[in-house]
Amino acid sequence: MPKLIIDNIPVEVPEGTNVLEAARSIGIVIPHFCWHPALGRAGACRACAVKMLDGPVKGLQMSCMLPAQDGMVVSTTDAEAMAMRRSVIEWLMINHPHDCPVCDEGGECQLQDFTIAGGHGIRRYDGRKRTYNNQYLGEFIAHEMNRCIQCYRCVRFYQEYAGGTDFGVMGRAAMVYFGRQSDGPLESPFSGNLVDICPTGVFTDKTARFRARYWDYDMAPSICPHCSLGCNITPVARYRELLKVVARRNDRVNGWFICDRGRFPKANVNALDRPRQPLVDGKATSWDEALDALRERLNGFLELNGTQSLAIIGSPRMSMEGNTMAARLHKLLDTGKICYFSDSVHAGQTLEAVASLTPDNAASQEDVRQADLVAIVGSDLLAEAPMMALAVRQAWRNGAPVYVVGEETSTLFEYVAVASLSDIPLAEAKHPVLICGTNHVGSDIIDTAARNKAKLSFILDGPNAFGCALLSQEYGATPLSEAVASGKIKGLISFESDLTLELPAGIRVLAAADCRKTPLLSRAEIVLPSSAWVEMDGTFINNEGRAQRFKQVMEPGLPIKGLDPAGHPPRLHRNTPPGGEVLPTWRIIAKITERLGSEWIEDPLSDQWERLRELDAEGEGISVV
Amino acid sequence: MTQILLRQDHTGQCLSFGQYCDAGGFEALRTALGGMSPNDVQQAVIDSGLRGRGGAGFPTGKKWSFVPRNLPGPRYLICNCDEMEPGTYKDRVLLEQNPHILIEGMALTCYALGVEHAFIFVRRGYEQAAANLRTAIGAAKQAGFLGSDILGSGFSLQLDIHQSAGRYICGEETALINALEGIRANPRVKPPFPAVKGLWGQPTVVNNVETLANIPAIIAHGPTWWKGLAATPEAAGTKLFCISGHVRNTECFELPLGTPLGKIIDGPCGGMRPGSTFKACIPGGASTPYFTREHWGVAMDFDPVAKAGSRLGTGGIIVFDQNTCMVAATLNLTRFYARESCGWCTPCREGLPFLVHTLEKIEQGLGTESDPDILREHVHALNYAFCALAPGAMGPVEGLLRLFEDELREHITKGRCPFGD
Repeated sequence: MPKLIIDNIPVEVPEGTNVLEAARSIGIVIPHFCWHPALGRAGACRACAVKMLDGPVKGLQMSCMLPAQDGMVVSTTDAEAMAMRRSVIEWLMINHPHDCPVCDEGGECQLQDFTIAGGHGIRRYDGRKRTYNNQYLGEFIAHEMNRCIQCYRCVRFYQEYAGGTDFGVMGRAAMVYFGRQSDGPLESPFSGNLVDICPTGVFTDKTARFRARYWDYDMAPSICPHCSLGCNITPVARYRELLKVVARRNDRVNGWFICDRGRFPKANVNALDRPRQPLVDGKATSWDEALDALRERLNGFLELNGTQSLAIIGSPRMSMEGNTMAARLHKLLDTGKICYFSDSVHAGQTLEAVASLTPDNAASQEDVRQADLVAIVGSDLLAEAPMMALAVRQAWRNGAPVYVVGEETSTLFEYVAVASLSDIPLAEAKHPVLICGTNHVGSDIIDTAARNKAKLSFILDGPNAFGCALLSQEYGATPLSEAVASGKIKGLISFESDLTLELPAGIRVLAAADCRKTPLLSRAEIVLPSSAWVEMDGTFINNEGRAQRFKQVMEPGLPIKGLDPAGHPPRLHRNTPPGGEVLPTWRIIAKITERLGSEWIEDPLSDQWERLRELDAEGEGISVV
Repeated sequence: MTQILLRQDHTGQCLSFGQYCDAGGFEALRTALGGMSPNDVQQAVIDSGLRGRGGAGFPTGKKWSFVPRNLPGPRYLICNCDEMEPGTYKDRVLLEQNPHILIEGMALTCYALGVEHAFIFVRRGYEQAAANLRTAIGAAKQAGFLGSDILGSGFSLQLDIHQSAGRYICGEETALINALEGIRANPRVKPPFPAVKGLWGQPTVVNNVETLANIPAIIAHGPTWWKGLAATPEAAGTKLFCISGHVRNTECFELPLGTPLGKIIDGPCGGMRPGSTFKACIPGGASTPYFTREHWGVAMDFDPVAKAGSRLGTGGIIVFDQNTCMVAATLNLTRFYARESCGWCTPCREGLPFLVHTLEKIEQGLGTESDPDILREHVHALNYAFCALAPGAMGPVEGLLRLFEDELREHITKGRCPFGD
């Protein structure tokens, strides 16, 4: 571990750390543009100059290019280093437009920050600025090339890190251009990361353009709900509207990036016609009335059919809080069934996959990135869990061979197609990882992995499928298809469930809680509107058994564009905003149990789940395997 | 005065393979393959004191010695014939007259380095040179000097020509390697140096045409003889000087290394053109600071020229007479470098256009008192660019500030160029 001195502060860093990172580790931020932790050094921007006063290297050096070594004495405040940094910023600002007031990046712009940090104020260049034509890059990303400072981050991410081929760098000298051969949507499923990685406003999120400034944002650490990987994100909202989603760093999980499928869909949260008011038989009503109606109908149903004919339905897309509360409702009523999965085969496989994972063999995305052999069995990663495909690409870039059993359409990495698991030389690798789609879980895979000390990663269905599998075991849950097939079930109460099977007409849907308009909701006698994940705190357990906390980002309510202009100015003065009466599902269940005579439950995580109460939303998560 | 590259009897036409062989061509290769070990050849080059002729003047034998011998996989030799430095045309003259000497030199080098596949990276515009090389390679193959099991020695060599897509930066050895691999010609991070990790990740030596063309003479006549061709005891061998500007004879001459500047201009160049008097010159290609009358006696060898504040570079001498505006000359050169920047690093990509803009203002009489400071800052800061292009581009600007500051200031105080349009 090299020991060096930076601005008179002694610091010890791991082997291979560069001087720029070493300085960051003690809170000294040296301006930089081309260097990025996930992309490494490039040496292109020359903004990170420091003066090496003593040690193995002397003089003015670019700190990102210099591995920290024993005995280095570094000054970041040396006059020559500061003059160099000022020069670099002056050069970059020669052509950068003064359009910060109309630029979406303004306020969260690395170039703004480092221009100030670099000490450049008065521009001496008095000639014409360089201008470019912008390109149409699809409906998600706006392109504004005049702002470009040629740090090459975008092309290094797009081509090298993410394997895209339709975007690159063209031209030379002072007319370098970053774009496509011609206008057209970016093809990479990771294109949205250009928005995050661009240090200024060349690439901005078109779906949130001109909507808010950084200091207006409602935001909080959150977890992506779009697949089972649990990538860390920061959703951004304003005026009760989810505006955009940016990647949040978690080195164990997604690293620095997320996929476009996690970034751009926002309609479920912002939909104007989303369930926002309790309904009884299709008529809007208050929470009190809806809960009273539910109690009455439930009592009537139970008297008529008995408790064994009722099923409580949880969901792999619902938080741990909601799903544990569903189980408590099931216990309270002593209902016949609790169901977390629709299909029995699928449920069996998910449970088998989850049961086979141990703290030693569960592979995180980071384990995949660091693997020296990757085997993929029965999973089209780009379709099912895009970030896992990106993780595999990083392993492949580092030289790990990739073997695929079955279909794989990814172009992110080269692979050897093999007929069966036994054709893969797992034993030759030191850190092999086996990635498996849920539909292909079987004892052969689990045994093969165990024999070869390979880590395992299963792609599950839903952000909390892992949690649902654990709860299924804990409460002896039945897949819904089985419950229905038994013929005993005559009614159900569903929470955020996406049923994949046709419910027989004879089964009553007494109540359904959801934040989305699902087919089940239209059949429900009582509709209970619930909060979207950005409107509440909660916990998801991802595919590797990592429990992660997401925090409330925004107050629920109808986005401003959904308000009736005739209703302005408002005549009704209330504490809740219009459409803001939704509740987190676990709270809805708590209200139901209270109505049924139980004590009010303040914290849904009880018993063995109590340890998740203290989960830090900004930490790496807690393993529950 | 002995010449080994441009033989005295050259006619301006390309030497045929037969003529070259008749004049002792490929004897050095026979000698080496007949009885010298690869190490012997390398040692001879080290002993000769041969320094790279492409501009940097790095000792050739030393460069070869950086190649690790124990790594698996192939090693490569690349001949850098991407001659694009303004004022430099020696490689073109050489290849248009005698491509065979380069092939023999490369064969010897490959033998010394254990290379079995070598490339000649030819500048875009050098069609004739490429054609000559193609013919020469064909003839050499036919005669058994290239191909497999050369002269029964067991040593094999494949030699390929790659014609550049054309940019100055391709002359930078790592950018050249990228260009050869078919990717963007941006320079690579060093270290690792090409000698360790170059073309397709394998150890690669990149040498200039003239450097390699000197190897046959070193092997044929011995390093001591070759070293003695120079004009001073410190220098080694001969050098191609290509002359342009306001002198009578603007040609490429092969002269002993270390010949004083004045002797070159007054001697083979035939002095200044009628009506012209010497004002300044670029001593070694467009990236070297100017020399003036006070440098008349400087021996044109790497170290003495460096000591006098410039660089021998490629030996491309551009002579300016009394009517030359040095601001305009510098502007012209800086425009070239601004255009030829690869666009990778900020100082080069943005700093050079800023300099062009500032020099344009000064030349047009719109300069201000603070403009020389802008030039001075750039001369310093551009040293910290990614590769050697931007520091090289600062050669003339540094020379302008050091030697012609009065002339520069005159532009600003008079509000016009004192030399007119």
